[in-house]
Amino acid sequence: MDTPDTLNYMLAGYIVFSVTFFGYLVYLWRRWRGLQAEEQNLKEIEANE
Amino acid sequence: MTENSIQNTPAQRPGGNYFGAVLAVAWKDLAAELRSRELLSAMLIFALLVILIFNFSLQLDRTTRESVTAGVLWVTFAFAGTLGLNRSMAIEKDRGCLDGLLLAPVDRSAIYFGKAISNLAFMLIVEAIVLPVYFVLYNPRNFFNPGFLGVILLGSIGYVAVGTLLSTMAVQARTRDVLLPILLFPLVIPVLVSAVQASMGFLSGQPFEEILPWLNLLLVYDVIFIAAAFMAFDYVVEE
Amino acid sequence: MSTQPRALIVLNVVSVILLAAAYYASLVYAPLEAVMGQVQRLFYFHVATAWVGMIGFVLAAVAGIAYLWKKDLKWDAISLAAVEISLIFFFIAIVLGSIWARPIWGTWWTWEPRLTTAAILQMIYLAYLLLRQGIEDPEKRARFGAIYTLLGGISVPLTFVSIRIFRSIHPVVIGAGGAEAQGSFSMAPVMVQVMLFSIFAFSVIFVTLFWHRMRLGSLESRVEQLKLKVMQ
Repeated sequence: MDTPDTLNYMLAGYIVFSVTFFGYLVYLWRRWRGLQAEEQNLKEIEANE
Repeated sequence: MTENSIQNTPAQRPGGNYFGAVLAVAWKDLAAELRSRELLSAMLIFALLVILIFNFSLQLDRTTRESVTAGVLWVTFAFAGTLGLNRSMAIEKDRGCLDGLLLAPVDRSAIYFGKAISNLAFMLIVEAIVLPVYFVLYNPRNFFNPGFLGVILLGSIGYVAVGTLLSTMAVQARTRDVLLPILLFPLVIPVLVSAVQASMGFLSGQPFEEILPWLNLLLVYDVIFIAAAFMAFDYVVEE
Repeated sequence: MSTQPRALIVLNVVSVILLAAAYYASLVYAPLEAVMGQVQRLFYFHVATAWVGMIGFVLAAVAGIAYLWKKDLKWDAISLAAVEISLIFFFIAIVLGSIWARPIWGTWWTWEPRLTTAAILQMIYLAYLLLRQGIEDPEKRARFGAIYTLLGGISVPLTFVSIRIFRSIHPVVIGAGGAEAQGSFSMAPVMVQVMLFSIFAFSVIFVTLFWHRMRLGSLESRVEQLKLKVMQ
């Protein structure tokens, strides 16, 4: 029996997985940095009051 | 709540109090609507427009139309129902009625049942008008058989049971109007699937045993969700 | 409080290793499947992420019940983190499943019960997030979120059953004829190994991500509280 050549589909799948997964990690990281910066700002404002 | 000096009228006996409260809440909405008719006219016009749009977007010959009648009708009812649920709760909230109701010395769930009954009534009234109109326009077979009408009733009950609860939540969010359909539709899929299939069954004259699984599913859904919504309502309106 | 606890750092390292190992196991170590070819390799990640996504949903529902009972906002934070991560995992599962289906069944999508229910479950996750977004009061947000997760949890089995009955009456007519039946393939022991390993790996990865997401949530509420204090 001939094994069909489905390599492209496989690659597409792994790419989708990697982009989504690591994309989510990047998203979390950027949110974290943003919030940290906000926290710093607010703490300074609070200290100056 | 019964006090010592209570008189023995139905609305003031313990059991009667609950039932009386449910009817009072339901009647409040129905009476208001009978006077203004703003909700019903909106729902009705919308439903008829949807039927009209279906007519033009699905250019169907007679036989194909027979097979989509159930689907078209249920989609129409679902959308019109959402409109009604939204408006009904919004009116409640904007006029501050909900807060007033919550202050009343009555079990919270009575408010839920009262609202659900009035919402159901509105939906049934719209259906009662849309169905004859559809019949006049397209003349489908077997249309007014009791099985079909029974499915419409069971399906509407399930839809309204969940919808009333979700609309109580949705109305308190900023994205109020858009949110209800988003919350509601994924949850009522069993109702829509079962109702459409059962409706199709009755309209095409299928033997009852084939339609039975759908009816069972509808019944199970209705019972489970009326119970769930009734229990959850307390948590939704607590302060 | 922005340095990670030791346990989390360890988990980070372990997760990276496990993920790399999962890539290797599915791409290299697992044998080529004769009937479907290379695309079958997607199955490992597809099943693993789907499985973990389901657990996440159950976790969210349980945390919802816990919140309604205990009224501690920590449970709400757990619900939210679980739903957000499960959303991602389930999205991956559905897309991988679709990509796998295309060459095998000839169609990107089939309305078979599990797949359709998965899509609906994904909608419920999204609806949950939108519900929360529309409510500002944290206590109300938590309460409503919990109720919605519960109602969603009750409806999903009913949805699955309804679609199952639907499918038994209206079998697939598209060319793939008996697509659901063809969906299974016999798994050699090595494949089973890789499958189980993938599920294990993604479970650990879920826990790590979950922890990070919880920390993010805590930071978020700290910032909110600071904002309120400063605005006064």
